Amino acid sequence: MAAITETRRDVLLEAMVRVVGRKGYEATSVADVIEEAGTSRTTFYKHFDDKHDCFLSAYDMVVERVFATVVAECDGEQPWLPRVRKGLATLIGIFAREPELARTAVVEVAVAGAEARQRHWDAVARFTGYLEDGRAEVDPGGNLPTHISVMAMGAVSGLIFDELVAGRTAQLPSLMPDLLFAMLVPFIGPAAATEEMRRAVQAT
Amino acid sequence: MVARSQRERLLDAAIDVVAEKGYRATTVADLTKAAGVSRTTFYELFEDKEACFLAAYDAAVDVLARRIAAAFETQDAWPDRVRAALIALLESLSAEPKIARLALVDVGSAGPRAQRRYRAALQRMTPFFDEGRDFVPGGRGLPANTSRMAVGSVTGLVADEIEAGRADQLPNLLPEILFASLVPYVGPEAAAKEAGER
Repeated sequence: MAAITETRRDVLLEAMVRVVGRKGYEATSVADVIEEAGTSRTTFYKHFDDKHDCFLSAYDMVVERVFATVVAECDGEQPWLPRVRKGLATLIGIFAREPELARTAVVEVAVAGAEARQRHWDAVARFTGYLEDGRAEVDPGGNLPTHISVMAMGAVSGLIFDELVAGRTAQLPSLMPDLLFAMLVPFIGPAAATEEMRRAVQAT
Repeated sequence: MVARSQRERLLDAAIDVVAEKGYRATTVADLTKAAGVSRTTFYELFEDKEACFLAAYDAAVDVLARRIAAAFETQDAWPDRVRAALIALLESLSAEPKIARLALVDVGSAGPRAQRRYRAALQRMTPFFDEGRDFVPGGRGLPANTSRMAVGSVTGLVADEIEAGRADQLPNLLPEILFASLVPYVGPEAAAKEAGER
């Protein structure tokens, strides 16, 4: 029985992600979510206090899934550069395949209140930390600015946010070379980052 | 003494109340009370809370954009122009933390229209960075989105600091933010050198 209950909860979380991605957080109602999930209102309230509560759990689930997928795709043994390249491509691939998830995770989360926004910052910080982990490989002397990874992530997430707000989620993979450039350039400079960008173009 | 117009008082109230309560919790009643105007007056001037918020946002962004552009024009060489513009940006935001919150943090919570305004506001900063293409050899070959991404690296860190309640210390981040602004064009060594100079 426990397994079935767990599954229903997951179904509701997945439904929340899709509906919010489609309609926006404000316009989403509990009724929309249970209709999408095909569960009863009673089931919803057995698992969640309200829409906000369900959204926060759904957001946590998305972050865990995306982060786990990205980390699994990046072989920890690889050097920093191919790891960053693979990680970014994986993230962009998930967003392009699941545009509703992308909108929920990047755009709608800002609308869902302070707690949700904090979770978003924490999620970005996890990816920043992952970028930061390999920093010693490219900055052995520790000469680069303290916040370099935060700023590289800002460049990438700003452009992704732009494209999602403009409704161009499906075209995200075509931005992969530019995004890779932005992520690498503070560490390795424009000439080397442009070279990596060219390789990324050839690979697609 | 010239009394501020009722519209201006409402715009100021939108900034104050949203900074305090957040956009979603703010009501039209909060705005009219803070501004000392009647509900009737409010609805003569604005369609709803969102319209008032967007007008306050646009006004705040206009002031910021003018200050940044004016500072940029005081210098000749591109790195100096960027430095001057960033100083103006960081000092404005640290002097007015409520506007900083509104312009870079709370705007995301106010729905799709506000989010598009936010992106449009950031777009106004890209020409300052695009000049970097002519400053370096090979600059024309940089990715088309380089300036948008440079803006993102600046606003990403600035928003982080505002969210963490450190808006007052933003000017201390000038070297890091200048580095991030210049590095896509000039590379880490030259950017570090510029960032280290005063």
